[in-house]
Amino acid sequence: MRKYSKWIFSGVIVILLAVIPQFFSIYYANFLVAFAIFSLYAVTLNLLLGYMGVLSFGHAMFFGVGAYSTALALTHIPGFPLLPAILIGGLAGGLLAFILSPLLVRVSGTAFAMLTLAFGQLIFVLALKYREVTGGEDGIGGYPLPPLNIPGVMSIDMTDQVNFYYFALVVITICLSILWFYTKTPFGSLVVGVRDNAMRLQYLGFNLPQTKAINLIVCGAFAGVAGAVNALLQKLVSTVGVLDINTSFLPIMMAYIGGTGNFFGPVIGSGVLYLLEDLVIRFTERIGLVNGVIFILVVTYLPLGLIGLFSMAKEKWFPKEKAS
Amino acid sequence: MNILETKGLYHDFKGLEVLFDVNLQVKEGERHAVIGPNGAGKTTLFNVITGTYSPSRGQVFFKGKEVTGSQPNEMARMGMGRSFQITSTFNRLTAFQNIRLAILSKRGIRFNLFRRVDKMQEITAETDEVLKRINLHQERDFPAAMLSYGKHRALEISLALAGDPDLIMLDEPTAGMSRDETHNAVELIRRLTEGKTVVIIEHDMDVVFSLADRITVLHYGEILATGPPVEIRQNQAVKDAYLGETEM
Repeated sequence: MRKYSKWIFSGVIVILLAVIPQFFSIYYANFLVAFAIFSLYAVTLNLLLGYMGVLSFGHAMFFGVGAYSTALALTHIPGFPLLPAILIGGLAGGLLAFILSPLLVRVSGTAFAMLTLAFGQLIFVLALKYREVTGGEDGIGGYPLPPLNIPGVMSIDMTDQVNFYYFALVVITICLSILWFYTKTPFGSLVVGVRDNAMRLQYLGFNLPQTKAINLIVCGAFAGVAGAVNALLQKLVSTVGVLDINTSFLPIMMAYIGGTGNFFGPVIGSGVLYLLEDLVIRFTERIGLVNGVIFILVVTYLPLGLIGLFSMAKEKWFPKEKAS
Repeated sequence: MNILETKGLYHDFKGLEVLFDVNLQVKEGERHAVIGPNGAGKTTLFNVITGTYSPSRGQVFFKGKEVTGSQPNEMARMGMGRSFQITSTFNRLTAFQNIRLAILSKRGIRFNLFRRVDKMQEITAETDEVLKRINLHQERDFPAAMLSYGKHRALEISLALAGDPDLIMLDEPTAGMSRDETHNAVELIRRLTEGKTVVIIEHDMDVVFSLADRITVLHYGEILATGPPVEIRQNQAVKDAYLGETEM
């Protein structure tokens, strides 16, 4: 029965997402895509924070490098196809994580947070100053949005925003599914072991730096994919919005608000922040104030986030039949 | 045959000499106890052998190969299991998940990204079997941090044993346990290490004399005596340094 309800639940969500562009304006469709992008981005942050136990203060560097790579590829290579454009963003994010991993895997706790902050800011400044390539503060814009070619079958125009909506949601869903599966693999259980007791993991015969590096690269790559899709959605990549410190902090807030202990926590957190922004912006521009208050309330009173609140309520009102 | 041997092992912490010329031989299949007063260097000796530190001088041989300065994970893969004096488990993971990590390591499953670990029947079965053997199957899905002290210690010891190592290094397995818990732990160790080589640090002399085939006495970083329990009991130097004159 439980199994069925899960399928029904997913089915309802898929149908809802499918009909949204038919009933709502394209503004809301794009809004949903942005939410999905940040969900994926926040999930990759949480694979470091909630799963491996390290807090990245510079996560925007992976997101931003992915976005810039996609934008640069589309700008400079005529006829660059769509899927490789996204792939190149993921590769760039993963490559950056790979390059930084020898340093990052040797530290944890505050040192890890500070080191990621430093590298994040370094790349932000690089993008800002290396104008010939990145366009500085203006960023890169006006690159073409290639169609999705399915060889021999059809070519789907991505400049049509409804088409892009479906395409982006499918890409993000596939990425989230891969990451979810990743957490369930034997390697995923090692990553959680790193969080709980890195030292003991070594005495069980696991190579700690290697384990941390692989997880870092996976997170970097998928954050890069999120950045790439973001570049396609915004059709503009500039330092503010993909590389600045706010872009690093946003997924941290999303993860904490939704709950770091659960895979889908950051998705909930991302949803809450996006909905809130849409509501609050109608009354005041002080969106940061509202976000900040909610963040403080959640970390103070709900250490497990909104997902934790949800499971607490579920246990209270629908206790499991047999207390284990 | 010596499964473990140290030759002229020295270790110092920034000038503070902790081990002097330690020559330890552990034969295959024996239960070897290392005893000595606090600060004698017992845990440091363990740390140097299992790869936490590199020794300042001297060599460590395991299964006839020199392993001086190897990393802890390399030692573990060669078949050396270790437990800790201060309980060191994966506290937010369940007892089951704790043991499963050891089983995964034993089977060499490290970077598998293509199967779900909870769908690996053999792994689950083997983990459950270990939990049953250590009498933790009822606490299977409890986070390690929520286990009672005795059970938590049992989990700590079992993490070292679950990987089926050839040499088991137990650092004060009964530390902080009550009389009953100690008794149970000793029984558990005796049962699980049947026919295996064990090196054990222990303060409880009852445990030492009932469990060990051979005893090494460490005193201020030096080996004072090595021999079977009867011999150690009679040894005048050991009595003076550690056991005292009162009959044990």
